Amino acid sequence: MKKAAARLAVTGLRHLYADRPVIEDLTFSLAAGRAVALVGPNGAGKTTVLRCIVGAHEPAAGEILLDGVPIDERAETVRRDVAALLDDLDFFPDLTAAEHLDLLARAHGNPEPEDLVDTLLDDVGLLAAADQLPGSLSSGQRRRLALATTLVRPRKLLVLDEPEQRLDTAGVAWLAERLQEEKKAGTSVIFASHDPDLVEAVADDTVELTPLA
Amino acid sequence: MSAADGPVVFDPADFGPIPRSAELRKWMRKVRRGKADRTFWQQFEDVYLVVFALAMVGATGGNVVRHLNENSASCTTTSCLLVLDYVPLILFPLLVAGMLRILLSVGPVSGSRATGFWLLATPLDRGAVLMPAYRLVIVVAAVIGALFAVVGFAVFGASLWFVIEATIVSTALLVCVACATVWAQQSPRATRWALRIADGLLVLAAIPAVALAVESRENAFSPEPEAVLIGRAYSIPGSSSGLPIHQQRALVIGTLGLAVAVAAVLMTARSLRRLPKPSVVAGGELLAGMAGAAITMDVSLLADVVAGRHWRTVGRLKSRRGRGERVQAIIHREFRRVLRWPRRLIVGAGLLVVPYAVAGTGYDVLVPLAAAFAGFVATRPLMDGLRSVCRSTGLVRALGMDLRDLRVAMAVVPGVFVLLWTTAAAPALGDAPTAFAVAAGILSGVVRQASARPPSYAGPLVASPMGAIPPGLFSQPIRGFDLLLLCLLPVLFDLGPLWRYAIPGAVLAIMFSVRPKTA
Repeated sequence: MKKAAARLAVTGLRHLYADRPVIEDLTFSLAAGRAVALVGPNGAGKTTVLRCIVGAHEPAAGEILLDGVPIDERAETVRRDVAALLDDLDFFPDLTAAEHLDLLARAHGNPEPEDLVDTLLDDVGLLAAADQLPGSLSSGQRRRLALATTLVRPRKLLVLDEPEQRLDTAGVAWLAERLQEEKKAGTSVIFASHDPDLVEAVADDTVELTPLA
Repeated sequence: MSAADGPVVFDPADFGPIPRSAELRKWMRKVRRGKADRTFWQQFEDVYLVVFALAMVGATGGNVVRHLNENSASCTTTSCLLVLDYVPLILFPLLVAGMLRILLSVGPVSGSRATGFWLLATPLDRGAVLMPAYRLVIVVAAVIGALFAVVGFAVFGASLWFVIEATIVSTALLVCVACATVWAQQSPRATRWALRIADGLLVLAAIPAVALAVESRENAFSPEPEAVLIGRAYSIPGSSSGLPIHQQRALVIGTLGLAVAVAAVLMTARSLRRLPKPSVVAGGELLAGMAGAAITMDVSLLADVVAGRHWRTVGRLKSRRGRGERVQAIIHREFRRVLRWPRRLIVGAGLLVVPYAVAGTGYDVLVPLAAAFAGFVATRPLMDGLRSVCRSTGLVRALGMDLRDLRVAMAVVPGVFVLLWTTAAAPALGDAPTAFAVAAGILSGVVRQASARPPSYAGPLVASPMGAIPPGLFSQPIRGFDLLLLCLLPVLFDLGPLWRYAIPGAVLAIMFSVRPKTA
């Protein structure tokens, strides 16, 4: 696959924690409308790769391109095009679930997000909890709300770290279906997962990572 | 046991009587001592350090209070003497309101999650299990009451016997307040009523404060002879029989206060077994969170812990749709957020009495400083939105905006509040340049404090007597106050109006142009 055609291109990625390498010379690419899954045991560096892609970590070496341009989380285009769900998402303690989605949609330039918010709340099974504050949501409901935050905004690249976490069986099935729809709509998806069924259902390619000695 | 033995059948007759809480605590102490890895001398050194530090702080503090007492007692202006008249009317409602709120926010009787899981869920006598925590609450309330009265009245120049009387009354009062909160802890309804009483007392405290401010300004230029007015306020003529009358009065007040406090403590102790486990454990979790924040000296985290607990308690609200898009949507949401907790606005408005009260005492040089700190306290709670985004990279990423732009957007509503607040305080502050410096100091201070990242233990650490600590740990408590004081420098050094605009203006411009870092 040509680099110019790739939505996301990772070349020679290397990352260290202190002096210990956790990612070494990782190269892969992802085209528009396709999905790649990062698989491997705990500590293999899946989350680290995702954090490098969204700019939360500065790689020690290598290049990450989004639509042919080096990714920089400060760039407006990156903030607009990359929707990510990592483990660093927090919530406003005094905004309800519906208000979070409403705010995010508006912050991304959607002046009339009411219908979209209602649909999404219904999709993720939070319609009954729309008026609840994050502190009163269960961990599973918070995870669903976090997933919804990536879907309420415009996106070209979806970055998801173990999106199946804390979802029940029906929730994982819904997620697989939803990610398929995202691909059909032209969104590229990169996700780390321990769920073989989800990987099987969504991923066009897999990148297998192993812990470095 | 093999499967062939069949299921285990529990027969209550196989168990002995439920142990007493004291026996269990004794057993736990014994087990813990068996695991102790510190020698007696190591523990003795720690205790010695604590006692020595307390003695040093006590001696220094006592000396400062004594000097302030002497200085205030020699004050001859009418304003000073008015303050003495009004102090009890302002301090006591404030004290009770503050204690009601603080005690109810932590329970007041609290226990750790482990206590809740391992002890409160057993048939042990709950009252006995919670008795040590209850005693601690009573002792803390009594100590705070005593210290508050001693410091509060002594610094305003009250006589020794008056300070003693006030201390007895204050101690007994706070012990009774602590008992009342333990009663209130038994049911959410009673807790709500106690909180309403606290709000009412805040309003009650504001009335004499406003009266003092108004009366002081009217009398500012008409000093009266000290002896006459002090005599009117606090000197009591001697008695014809035995003890002087002021000593007799202190004795009566002391006896009555002690009797009431002891009766309240004993009666309330009998209600401990009725305390619900969730409220006890929630208080323990809050205290643990606050202890964590205190260890990292993170003032903002302390506020987060309290606010987080408040919203968890609220649980559910009617969702309000936003308005506009991008920056406009953020500002609108911040506006709605501020309105969502109106008590903060009321308290903020109530703090307006501070600059007027200080101006009323005649200490004009302190007015901008007092106004700035009061404004800081009033405005800081409105910065929760900025706090949330600054501690969560994920939230900033989700909002899709640069954190610098977000910070500006989220400072708009608090900025308007600061503008209104300083405009209302302007008559006490004197002139427009001073008011601008105060406003800039408040805004830059609260924004800087709300943008603070927690100290990172992931980077290089510095060796200290407390163990390895991150380099930024000790700067945490002063973060925000540094900019506040910087903006006030031209006022404190009595520089011209140009400087009072230029320095705070530059501080604001630089602060908002710098890109904050997220956690």
